[in-house]
Amino acid sequence: MRQGNTGLHSRIALVPTRPLELIRLERAVIGYRTPLLPPLDLAVRAGSTLGVLGPNGAGKTALLKSLLGLLPLFAGRRVLPLGRAPRVGYVPQRDRLDMSWPLTVLDVVLMGRAPLVGPIKRYSARDRSAAQAALQEIGIGDLGDRPLYALSGGQHQKVLIARAVAADPELLVLDEPTSAMDPAAERMLLELVQRLKAAHNLSVALVTHQLTAIPGFATDLALIDRERGLFEVGPAEQMLDPEKLGRLYGREVRVAKVGDKTAIVVDGGAPP
Amino acid sequence: MSGFADFWAGRDLWRDPMIAGILAGAVLGYIGVFVVLKRMVFVSAALSEISGVGVAFAFWIGAVLGIDPHAHGRVPLLLEPTWFSLVFACAAAALFSLRPGHRKLAPETIVGLGYIVSSALVLAILNSPRIAQEAHAVGDILFGNAVTVPRRQIVALFSAALAAVIVHAIFFKELLFVSYDPETAVVQGMGVFRYELLLNLATAIVISVATRAVGALPVFAFSVIPAAAALMLTDRIRLTIALSVLFGVISAAVGYYVSWVEQLPTGATMVVIATLFLLPGLVKILRRSAV
Repeated sequence: MRQGNTGLHSRIALVPTRPLELIRLERAVIGYRTPLLPPLDLAVRAGSTLGVLGPNGAGKTALLKSLLGLLPLFAGRRVLPLGRAPRVGYVPQRDRLDMSWPLTVLDVVLMGRAPLVGPIKRYSARDRSAAQAALQEIGIGDLGDRPLYALSGGQHQKVLIARAVAADPELLVLDEPTSAMDPAAERMLLELVQRLKAAHNLSVALVTHQLTAIPGFATDLALIDRERGLFEVGPAEQMLDPEKLGRLYGREVRVAKVGDKTAIVVDGGAPP
Repeated sequence: MSGFADFWAGRDLWRDPMIAGILAGAVLGYIGVFVVLKRMVFVSAALSEISGVGVAFAFWIGAVLGIDPHAHGRVPLLLEPTWFSLVFACAAAALFSLRPGHRKLAPETIVGLGYIVSSALVLAILNSPRIAQEAHAVGDILFGNAVTVPRRQIVALFSAALAAVIVHAIFFKELLFVSYDPETAVVQGMGVFRYELLLNLATAIVISVATRAVGALPVFAFSVIPAAAALMLTDRIRLTIALSVLFGVISAAVGYYVSWVEQLPTGATMVVIATLFLLPGLVKILRRSAV
């Protein structure tokens, strides 16, 4: 029996394995100057799409920064199962960026390559073709030479996604990517991210205050609100629960299946 | 034409200050693109004033110790005002790089406080009874005088400009990334503080040395006007930098010439000439808004 086990182990060891998680927070107490929430556990699983949902000012950005190691924890620890931090492609909120800079779309997308190139060296022809390929993949390959100020809001968002893809990421992080978008544009953007996820074997983390961005997109869902001292995480289908969402928004929430889609309605009344 | 002939005849007198002005116009035209894009124009004014405090402080210590600050060659190296000016400016640049913002104390408030406090300190030190009799000369040493520039200040300015250009040439893509989108640069592991510090130190050193060479007003103007003028004309970063440097150089050279021929204050004339470069961009904007 003992002999058999050893043989099995050596056979398993020969099979390339992929860690199940990219980043994990264990009993983490997050916050800026003071703790925001009781200790929490959260993991970004390889190949998953983690949605972080909560109202404005709920602590979503603090959670994201803690997950990425940009904000020190008050307590607990951040574990990197890969033995190193995963390569991250980051899509910030586009209204935080200044569109008046004299940069072309290609200038911005190339920035995603900067950490890969390293200091001192210039962008190579390979970096330029990677940036151009990212633009092609997002569907804006013809915009490389266009100045930033001449872009529409949706095009700007795609440029930021192209920059994140050009960084050759393992984890794609999007911060409120669909805010100020109409429902059709929101759905197109989320479908684009789904396509990129499949094509590049990515894990995705999406921070949003918009309920509509979650159903059919996130595989895991974290609900957060520091005002109510609330943090819950689990598979999206379990978390899209009227009671849990009602607690998060302080309103009655109804969840219904329409065909193969999930519809969520937030009512005016308090939760039952 | 006779004006130009007179000007040419006096070239031994204006060569050094002209070189200093052109150097300052070129390097500040370059750095100004980052200063304007990062919306930190008052940082250059504050750094100018803070480096002035360093110079005044060196004089005050010299007076306390009984050392004549005008005794060139006999002032101990450690009391050389240039060092104090550089140390004060670099310390302030490091402080600004920390982004020590607070809900009620935004970064621009901290820059403003730096400007106000250093202006008051300069006035207080200049009016100290210990150095009052030298105050007029100290004023020139503090904030320069584009009319006469000692050779060693040209060497210092050239060295500072060269250092800044080398830093920008080596780390251009990093400086551009962390200046444009520090949030993403942090997430992608770019070491934003390190590059912000490098950028601010290069800016501080150039502003500190240039202020002593050509004066506070042209330094502030050269770090804002040529870049603003260039930004209104193009949407390409490299062309913006090239135009800004060109505008800075022409403003310094033409400004010096006009001030010589018309007997006008040199620094102020350079600034007025620089302002003319804003006109094409303003016309472009007006034409666009009229459509």
